Amino acid sequence: MSESIHPAPEQGVMEALQLAGRIIIENGGETYRAEETICRMGQGIGLTEVESFAVPSGLFISYRGHDGLLESGVKRVHRQGTNLTKIDQVNAVSRKVTAGQMSIQQAWEELRRIDASRGPVASGWMILAAFLCAGGFALLFGGGEWEILFAGLVAAVVQLVGLVNQKMHMQWLVTAIFGGFLTSLLPHFIIRLFPGVSQEILIAGAVMPLVPGLAMTNAVQDTMRGDMVSGLSHGTQALLTACLVAGGALLSNALVRLLEGGLLG
Amino acid sequence: MIQEILLPVLGAFIGSIGFALLVHAPMRSLLPSGIIAALTYLVYSLIAFAGVSEALAVFAGALFGSLAGQWVARRMKMIGTVFLMSAIVPVVPGLGLYRMMTLLGQGATAAGADQGIQAMITIAMIALGLGFGSFTDRRFHPGKKK
Repeated sequence: MSESIHPAPEQGVMEALQLAGRIIIENGGETYRAEETICRMGQGIGLTEVESFAVPSGLFISYRGHDGLLESGVKRVHRQGTNLTKIDQVNAVSRKVTAGQMSIQQAWEELRRIDASRGPVASGWMILAAFLCAGGFALLFGGGEWEILFAGLVAAVVQLVGLVNQKMHMQWLVTAIFGGFLTSLLPHFIIRLFPGVSQEILIAGAVMPLVPGLAMTNAVQDTMRGDMVSGLSHGTQALLTACLVAGGALLSNALVRLLEGGLLG
Repeated sequence: MIQEILLPVLGAFIGSIGFALLVHAPMRSLLPSGIIAALTYLVYSLIAFAGVSEALAVFAGALFGSLAGQWVARRMKMIGTVFLMSAIVPVVPGLGLYRMMTLLGQGATAAGADQGIQAMITIAMIALGLGFGSFTDRRFHPGKKK
């Protein structure tokens, strides 16, 4: 059965395995998931001695092919952003290959399609997602309708600026620091116009879309699998993001105090 | 009771769906993510409401979220990350971290450090709950792909 499904197993195998691992790491997946996916796909097409080692910045793969030769490859990976749909799709491809329902050539084509695809919703909808996220958490923190509305609006503006940053190929750390700055600055103006609104709840809600929730989850997941390098790497990313958001907020507080003491005082 | 528990639970549901959308989570995972997040926050709230320590409440919430997230991921044949992440986001100490920043910015170092330590304890409890849940799940489902 495997011969009819995999007529030329060696052809494009390394590329397909590398692509599967690369998509997972590039889009915010855990390194253990990339390693497992590569090994399962390799074993699924009948390769032996399949080994993979992944870190957040690269992949190492080796296997013994059907001709008995040991092949190995290294792939440098650069984080692109976060897209859990792509990781889920790679997972589905891996399951099919492992179950013998998909050849490695079909998997390669499907992986290329996944790699070129965008998220399940257009970028513009991310603004609405940020509104929902911040508004929901403002409600969680005890906010009323005004806090929910303004937290949502502030987060939507921050998301819009983040999307512009992305288009200009800015580093994620610039987006984090600028996001923290705006999230803290805009509410200062809002409470001047609407004095009854709680600034604390407004900011706490609006900052939630910037929380590095995925990096935190990955850090724990990787560490629990004994992958300390990736666990530390994701943990550092989470900590750095939180510090940059906090730094941006502190900058905005300092600016507001300067304005209140001088220009607006 | 409604004001203190049910409205925040609704907030966790809506907020987590928004958060999942922001990380391009698969569309079919959004509703289960929101439900897991709401239940996680409900577990946390009920334990905190009963007067048990905040840290234990966060741990219990994160543990529930971790186990529920991995169970749902297996049932739906999806990656567990999306459910785990949504589960923990409502218990992330956003308000505590904001208070810490504000106090430190105002020069109130001692009060800021106090808030910071509490926030760090909460984060540690989230990691512990998530990790313990992951360990338990792997103990009973070894070698299963999520």
